[in-house]
Amino acid sequence: MAEVRVTGRDGSERRLEASNGIALMDTLRDAGTGVEGTCGGACACGTCHVYVAQNWVDKLPPKSEDEQMMLEAIGELVEVRSTSRLSCQIQISDTLAGLALEIGPVP
Amino acid sequence: MGAITLQRLLLDSKGLERCPFPIPTGWFFVDYSDTLKPGELRNVHLFDQEWVLFRTEGGQVGLSDPYCPHLGAHLGHGGKVVGENLRCPFHHWEYDTAGFCKQIPYAKVMPPVTKKQAILRTLPMTEKYGLIWAWFDPQCEAPSWQLPHIPEMEDAGYACTRRGTWPVNTAIQEIAENGVDFAHLKFLHGAPGIPPAVVNFEKHIIDINMASGYIVGRGYGPGLNVFQFTQEGISSTMISYTQPITAERSQMNMSFRYKDYPEGSKELHISKKLVDHMIGAAEGEESAGFESVDFVVWNHKKYRPNPLLCDGDGPILQYRKWFKQFYTAADTDTLAKV
Ligand code: FES
Ligand code: FES
Ligand SMILES: [Fe+2]
Repeated sequence: MAEVRVTGRDGSERRLEASNGIALMDTLRDAGTGVEGTCGGACACGTCHVYVAQNWVDKLPPKSEDEQMMLEAIGELVEVRSTSRLSCQIQISDTLAGLALEIGPVP
Repeated sequence: MGAITLQRLLLDSKGLERCPFPIPTGWFFVDYSDTLKPGELRNVHLFDQEWVLFRTEGGQVGLSDPYCPHLGAHLGHGGKVVGENLRCPFHHWEYDTAGFCKQIPYAKVMPPVTKKQAILRTLPMTEKYGLIWAWFDPQCEAPSWQLPHIPEMEDAGYACTRRGTWPVNTAIQEIAENGVDFAHLKFLHGAPGIPPAVVNFEKHIIDINMASGYIVGRGYGPGLNVFQFTQEGISSTMISYTQPITAERSQMNMSFRYKDYPEGSKELHISKKLVDHMIGAAEGEESAGFESVDFVVWNHKKYRPNPLLCDGDGPILQYRKWFKQFYTAADTDTLAKV
């Protein structure tokens, strides 16, 4: 279980309880944050784009080549930053307690 | 293998299978090139499954798995050739002959995987001798050898448009085993004697020389065999390209060719007679071609993985060992049965 601090696209702040072992994307989608997760975690849609807080960048598992490629692909249409991640590629665990993120723009 | 046990010999029969073989790996005939026009598409059954055969507007031929990687629509029921691509009827995703997704009309971003690799299974294809060929490998591996040049099919100076096609209820390994089963030529086909024969195995190629040059054959993997029959210095060639339809069903196909001899010549007469003899009964020949005698055996026999062989039998076991190389994905249990 990890508490995640989420800033919505409209700037609103929320705290969500995320269950261990599932993707962060699932929690964000189910909580109605605007994350769609259309492809279910296949790095094919980019609709789960988030910006994580700067101090969390190095604490998260590194991006796979597939995640990197999808971020580059949406980067032609929306703003992708060095803090951009696909939330479907982040598995929840206790070590993520306190993770702060902002829901990113999608194509 | 050791001595045959009585138990096995007497009771094996109940457990025998007709065709315990996987679909072999190799180049296989799909259809005649002139039967597939640019823009055409149709469903074909080969290699124990359905496929969609199509030709692009530019003339490239493709053979694709029927089920769209998007949401599983059957590309051969409502699908269309659009330019160089095959278009799915459901949401108009388009695929090229190599299986790459080239177009998704409504996605703002193409999934990156589409750039990296094919997402639809298609088979490597080629056209040679006026025939369409597909490389089938159960694990989607690339071709490990190429089809040979066949002068009788590709060079000028040869004639004959005769060809035939025969369905048979058995697997290719069983059909081709006849090529090294010299004893059956006397007893089933009625040849005057068991012809002396030499067989050589080299990688995917098998060479057979029967009756000191009367029949010289070369097999290229499981899907292509070229046999030359020679009498009085005149040769005719049988090009045989059998298709595995299911594990237990094959389609034998053959083209027959000889030199372009003048009408009415003795050479032409011999050439034609040789072709008759390859297929069935022929004037002045006591023995029968495959059509009249082999089918009844093939259609009803079972496969004995541990046969009792005697002196005078051909190199059946060497042939089987050679053929195993085409079961590229088989596990040890399967290999033990073939
Ligand atoms: S859910 Fe599609 S890329 Fe994350
Ligand atoms: S199922 Fe083929 S395009 Fe959707
Ligand atoms: Fe035969």
